[in-house]
Amino acid sequence: MLTFTSLLSLPVPSQAQIRASEVGSISQVIDGTKLTITYSRPRSRGRAKLFGTSAAHWGETWTPGANWATTLEVSKPVTINGREVAVGKYSVWMILKETGDWTTVLDPEFHRFHMEPPDSAARQIRFPVKIDQAPSVDVLTWSFPELTISGGTIAMQWGTTRATMKFSVQPSLQVTLAEAEARPYLGRYQYTAMTGRDSGKVSAFVVSYENGTMKGEYDPTVDWMGRFALIRVAPDVFVPGLYDSKGELYEVLRPDMIITFTRVNGRPMTFEERWEDDTLGASGKRLP
Amino acid sequence: MMTDRRTFLHSCSVLAVGALLPAPMRTVAPMHCMHAGPLGPHPTPRQGITAAKVLSKDDLSHDPALIPLFDGVREIPEIIDGIRCNCGCASAPGMYSLLSCYEGAAMAQYCPICQGQGRLATRLHKQGKSLDDIRVAVDAQFGG
Repeated sequence: MLTFTSLLSLPVPSQAQIRASEVGSISQVIDGTKLTITYSRPRSRGRAKLFGTSAAHWGETWTPGANWATTLEVSKPVTINGREVAVGKYSVWMILKETGDWTTVLDPEFHRFHMEPPDSAARQIRFPVKIDQAPSVDVLTWSFPELTISGGTIAMQWGTTRATMKFSVQPSLQVTLAEAEARPYLGRYQYTAMTGRDSGKVSAFVVSYENGTMKGEYDPTVDWMGRFALIRVAPDVFVPGLYDSKGELYEVLRPDMIITFTRVNGRPMTFEERWEDDTLGASGKRLP
Repeated sequence: MMTDRRTFLHSCSVLAVGALLPAPMRTVAPMHCMHAGPLGPHPTPRQGITAAKVLSKDDLSHDPALIPLFDGVREIPEIIDGIRCNCGCASAPGMYSLLSCYEGAAMAQYCPICQGQGRLATRLHKQGKSLDDIRVAVDAQFGG
């Protein structure tokens, strides 16, 4: 739910034209931050070697695309390979090297033709980018091959040459909670399902604290949720964050499920579990 | 909590094609739009706003279960008009507030986000909460 990829509506010339490098675009939303890469997509057209040739020669400041420079647009600040990138649209360039890392250049002047790479400028964002080899692709392709809840990998590949960059977005939620703030909630609660086929069924809900995070777990456990993070979104209000098998948070069930505690004499004693449509899914009551 | 993820997340379907389904199927495969951009602040309730355009029970014969929700919204247009819809429809032409989702084509007939925000607002209003309190609760659950 936190992520969404789509091809965008692309500008279509009023008269159809057949291009060697047709325009393409890819975008990715992570936690409310949208990254969009728009580029013309050259094909290999039988060329066995692409880099270190007239197509893209060593030492060149090359736009990883064709025709008008490839652009990257970010809707909120992001970090790419450790460099902060402010909201905006940039032309994307790479300084090609035969060995070692290449250098990515993001230039705020985004509407540039590929034959007119920008001069070095203070406003540019520059960072090294790792190059490796991968199974060949015919058409130059940008992608987001790895995603987490807070970022991922941007990849550009043409032929067997692949450049990859790590990016991260500004998190909308803070997963961790100070132990002193979590302590009042900890304990075992009677859990009563209030709707659906389990309505009236009584089980238990356990709130614990580990690794700086408040955790919840049903007893008996629910396989698809396991022990999940309880992420505070307002005073006494929490949403579940689910962990994958590696212990990495991969999804936050917001607005799907919200758990609201009610205090008695300052201590959380009961809770309501509601769903996206505000259905009361369950209620909880602290056990002695 | 539900015992299987598929059932639980069923109501979170983002299949936009759901909008194309015949009305009776929409309740089986609910949909909502995907918000990708900034949500913006909650709107200021329009002076003199009424619930005159909120769908009535006659409009909801395809899904009578929704009648209490729409009736609840109809009672407090000045509150519902001060809440931002978080499903993404707020940026559509003619949309002003969550109240817009209950008028005319009424996205709230099919969208669990619009429904959830409407139920949350009417429930909290009945508990005596102010518009500001309700906005805080909406932001906590649906994002601010």
